[in-house]
Amino acid sequence: MKRWGLIAVVVLLVAWGWLRAFAWFDPLSACRIHIDVELLEGDRGAIRSAIDVVRREDPLVYRALCRWVDRIQEERQCDAGDPQADRRVRGGAGIPLDVLDPAIRRAREAPGCYVRGSRVIVLRRPPDGGGGPALVRERAEALKRLAGYSQAFWIDHGR
Amino acid sequence: MTRRRAVALGILAILVVLVARYFVWVDVGARCVIGIRPSLVGYDNSTVKRALETLRNGSPEDYRKVCVHVGSINPNPSCGGFGGGCFWHGQNARGRASIDVSTEHGLIWTVAIVVHETCHAIQSHEGRPPGFDYEDECYNEDHRIMRALVQFE
Repeated sequence: MKRWGLIAVVVLLVAWGWLRAFAWFDPLSACRIHIDVELLEGDRGAIRSAIDVVRREDPLVYRALCRWVDRIQEERQCDAGDPQADRRVRGGAGIPLDVLDPAIRRAREAPGCYVRGSRVIVLRRPPDGGGGPALVRERAEALKRLAGYSQAFWIDHGR
Repeated sequence: MTRRRAVALGILAILVVLVARYFVWVDVGARCVIGIRPSLVGYDNSTVKRALETLRNGSPEDYRKVCVHVGSINPNPSCGGFGGGCFWHGQNARGRASIDVSTEHGLIWTVAIVVHETCHAIQSHEGRPPGFDYEDECYNEDHRIMRALVQFE
């Protein structure tokens, strides 16, 4: 009996570690959001801190985040268009993004974006690799906004 | 049932689950089956599946085109470096095409590359004339889908 108890504890610990290692895991809120980061450059801790800010500041939005987002990916930037759609870019000309499509530049500078049709939020990797409270705040605000986009998409999609 | 048979059935069941999980996209409702080749570069096939799922929900018309014109997706960077995709114009124009799609740059670009290479498959199936500018149309297609699906402000 004692042996089985020990095995159960070990299994629970391994399961807990597994669920938490690559994700935000909050069993009390039945919330698990997978976090994808670059193997060498990424920092899940900074993303977890931003989610924690959302959880503390805005429980309603946090619930929406848990319900409508299942993955947060850290990428170099958000791309809202393909600059190569312009022949001049494919020809090697260095053309400012604003000339091509201002939305592409704005998306690249945005702290994050939501991919419609998915439950995925993309967060921009800090350009200089920096972190700190300002980054956490910026990401928390982005998560609040982007969780709303996902919620709106899926509620609208279900109609 | 003998023990040996039970073990064989168990192994078969595991194989079926693994193949279904990693190597094929099945959407019974849309009658859409697309093979996905094993990926050698670490990024497992779930990114391709996530891209197809995103298209299905976010742009059903593009998803339908993929189902009609694409039979298999190769996520390995066998062409176009790590960042892009490829369609081989020498393919049999009558069958559903095989396309190469890199998943290196995440979900948004994977979706865009699927749409771009599907556009080439459509060109091939429609027998576009020699000298036709194959790339212009398809770059515009991937640009369009990115603009439609990425919401940032």
